[in-house]
Amino acid sequence: MINVENLSKYYGTKQVLIHINLHFEKGKVYGIVGENGSGKTTLFRCIAGLEKHEGIISADLLPLKNHLGLLLTEPFFFSKITGREYIRLLCNARNLHTGNIDDRNIFDLPLHQYASTYSTGMKKKLALTAILIQENQYFILDEPFNGVDIQSNIILAAIIHKLKDLGKTVIISSHIFSTLSDTCDEIHLLKNGVFIKKVYQEDFDKLEAAMKETTVGNKIDKLGLI
Amino acid sequence: MKAYFLLQFKMTNRKLADYGLNPILGFCIIFAVFIGFSMYLFSRTEFAVYMYMLIAWSFVAKLSEKKRNDFLKSIFLKISYVKLRMIENSIVVLPFVAFLIYKQLFPDAIMITAITLMMALVNFNSTFNYTIPTPFYKKPFEFTVGFRNTFYLFLLNYSLACIAASVGNFNLGVFALLLVFLLSFSFYSKPENEYYVWSFIDTPKGFLIKKIKTAFLYSTLLSIPILLILCIFFPGEIKTILLFQLLSYIYLVTIIFAKYSNYPDEMNVPQGFLIALSVLFPPVLVGVIPFFYVQSMKKLNVFLA
Repeated sequence: MINVENLSKYYGTKQVLIHINLHFEKGKVYGIVGENGSGKTTLFRCIAGLEKHEGIISADLLPLKNHLGLLLTEPFFFSKITGREYIRLLCNARNLHTGNIDDRNIFDLPLHQYASTYSTGMKKKLALTAILIQENQYFILDEPFNGVDIQSNIILAAIIHKLKDLGKTVIISSHIFSTLSDTCDEIHLLKNGVFIKKVYQEDFDKLEAAMKETTVGNKIDKLGLI
Repeated sequence: MKAYFLLQFKMTNRKLADYGLNPILGFCIIFAVFIGFSMYLFSRTEFAVYMYMLIAWSFVAKLSEKKRNDFLKSIFLKISYVKLRMIENSIVVLPFVAFLIYKQLFPDAIMITAITLMMALVNFNSTFNYTIPTPFYKKPFEFTVGFRNTFYLFLLNYSLACIAASVGNFNLGVFALLLVFLLSFSFYSKPENEYYVWSFIDTPKGFLIKKIKTAFLYSTLLSIPILLILCIFFPGEIKTILLFQLLSYIYLVTIIFAKYSNYPDEMNVPQGFLIALSVLFPPVLVGVIPFFYVQSMKKLNVFLA
């Protein structure tokens, strides 16, 4: 369980998160959607403890960061570290023995090569593999489906279902609605730092339709395409 | 092309400003450090000119990185691109060439210039697939990444130690030993992305102890070849050798604490000044090390608490 109470975040004088209240339960998958710049990544960084903030973030396992697998939108890699060394580094950080990493290389990544030479999708898969091997209880996956090939997207969706079955808490952001509707129990809509809507599985279709309507509207006509 | 160089100048000024330096003061400091270092190098070893060239070309090589040059090629015409690359390479080696001329080493000055201009036509592909093996795989990342970036300098160091043994020059041997540690210090010069500290399950104290243990172990591994050479060929100087080794460990601890004392930002000018002061006058380490330690604990507490 993760509980977010009255979370606010300022960058200078600009408030990017405004009195956020959220509750994430064990064995559930939560989707966070919102436009670019709506505050999704900032929210994740606050929950992870990477940003100072106002308000309280609590969890049943403390400290939360020690049980949290965080997949960033653009994971950072050192210039000359191999995939295998990257996984080892993250496991060392959690005092875990990695065992045979190759056996758990489900995305068939070239672990002997420098991670910085990987494609965008491969980098994401490597970062995901590392946080899965870390045996975390909570997962924050910031746009995990972006840049990843369709086969891996299928595996990723299956992994999320498995994590849910294992009683883990998973929070995902994505700009691809179908990936969220396939995996999430709840979707929260974030706009300008405020959660404006919470939707359960049975209403996902309505949410998608409403989003299309409000987002697209007559904007395409304004382009004057001929 | 003028706009490009003006932009580069602005970017350099911004980098200096990020270090908390007024650009004019920054350039003055860089100039003074460069002159001081050059004088020191040439006063210490007869092989200075080779090391000097290597240092100059390592700066030039950074400008030859493939991605950077692919970008430049995409925005400039071919002739403009070649001119631009030659000019920027020349700007980088100009101080080195000027110092070599001052030292009346004219053939070396011509050679360094000629090779630098030729390097303008070469792109170094940093994304080649060959992985340089290291003995540091158990505890990535500082030594793994650092060694791969500087392995050729270690080869040079080991060669220097062999030369020192063959010509009976103990000072040169100690210089090679200290260079190993200088390179190890450089592995800790830049703060890592905060994700890599955040990931650790540890207290700030435990985290720092782990970092120090790894640094001691791996810097010892890298210095063992030179230590062995020095102990075998200069058995009467073992106490001096061990003293330098011990001092190097102490500075290694200082650098690690200094790195995290301003984390996640890079070390700033006051910190650099304290390190420089402790190099010139080692007894101040008694105050500098605890100071950096306390600051590191505060900074790391944000990510590891």
